[in-house]
Amino acid sequence: MNAQPSFYKERLYPLVFMFIVTFLCILLTAGLYLLTQERASANELSFTRRAVLQAGGVPFENTTLGIEQAFNEKISVEEGYYTTQGPEGIRYIIPLQGPGLWGTIAIMVGMEEDLRTFSGLAIVSQNETPGLGARIEESWFTSQFSGKKAPFTMVEEGTASLDNEVDAITGATRTSEYFLNLTNRAADDAKLIIRGE
Amino acid sequence: MAKNTLRKTFIEPLGKNNPVFVQILGICSTLAVTNKLQNTLVMTLGVMFTTALSSFTLSLIRNHIPSRIRMMVETMIIATFVIIVDIVLKAFYPEMWKQLGPYVGLIITNCIIMGRVEAFALQNKPMLSLVDGLASGLGYAYVLLAIAFVRELLGTGSLWGVRILGSWWTNWSIMIMPPGGFFVLAILIWVIRETIMKEAKHD
Repeated sequence: MNAQPSFYKERLYPLVFMFIVTFLCILLTAGLYLLTQERASANELSFTRRAVLQAGGVPFENTTLGIEQAFNEKISVEEGYYTTQGPEGIRYIIPLQGPGLWGTIAIMVGMEEDLRTFSGLAIVSQNETPGLGARIEESWFTSQFSGKKAPFTMVEEGTASLDNEVDAITGATRTSEYFLNLTNRAADDAKLIIRGE
Repeated sequence: MAKNTLRKTFIEPLGKNNPVFVQILGICSTLAVTNKLQNTLVMTLGVMFTTALSSFTLSLIRNHIPSRIRMMVETMIIATFVIIVDIVLKAFYPEMWKQLGPYVGLIITNCIIMGRVEAFALQNKPMLSLVDGLASGLGYAYVLLAIAFVRELLGTGSLWGVRILGSWWTNWSIMIMPPGGFFVLAILIWVIRETIMKEAKHD
């Protein structure tokens, strides 16, 4: 007899309530997402462009506008890589990724026309240990590759002197090794991507 | 009377009912995001925003929520506010968003938020719940910032990314790794419980 109100209260009402709450929540978040989507993808693009500029050794102003200007003026986009005009001919900039200690390390590598000498290097993303492996993001580490010739060897932090030596990171031997493998692969990868060899 | 309740609601989470060092809630994020002051501030602002608004919203509809699906509704609303934080960070502070990575999304599972909703917002009026949520977030924030202060200073010799200590300082790398979080948090809880809290108990 009183099955009717109980059915409504116990089954239908919670269902309808949940449906309405879910609907409103999704409406709100989806709306906000769509409103900011353009901006978010512009940021993403700006990050990639900044890495390309850093790797190519092109000077730029570190603002969204500065990055866009420098990129449009100096960089030309090819299929799978970028080029820029360096002081000694064309510089090639290629995106690379490989395993790290905890996750994938993605970098952007710039190379001179010989495809051996590095013009620069930038980290796109990494998940290494904070304070140890994550120091690959620090500029003393990335900038030391500029002007050096692959293949590299790693030496103790603070002792690199020859033009194929780079400093490893103390306390992050494994990350350093993974990073070394990644940069040493760069020359072969570049040949494959650019010349199809 | 009403003013007293309001005052009490605001003061308690800051001191003798602090979510971090008394209730030991929200510890996962305490350990994860406190290695840099900047990240910590953004993270705690996100938590404050979420606790305050989810407590407020759920308190508004508290008399209409069917009790058997109560937790689903709570999670849904908390998640919505966290996603709003995530979207806003991604669009306007991309650099910060990249650094915080998955931790913004993990605010959803922060026990403080659900805890305040269950323990407070479902029994109290919206405005009072808003204050309670805000104060709980604030109580969480200042403890985390204190921890981050110690960890960033000892771990990198800098504060807010600016080098403070000279080159004589050798960085304690362990401080910015997860164990450093455990050490600093444990020492902080111990010191506070042994000194301030002990006196308060005697009163």
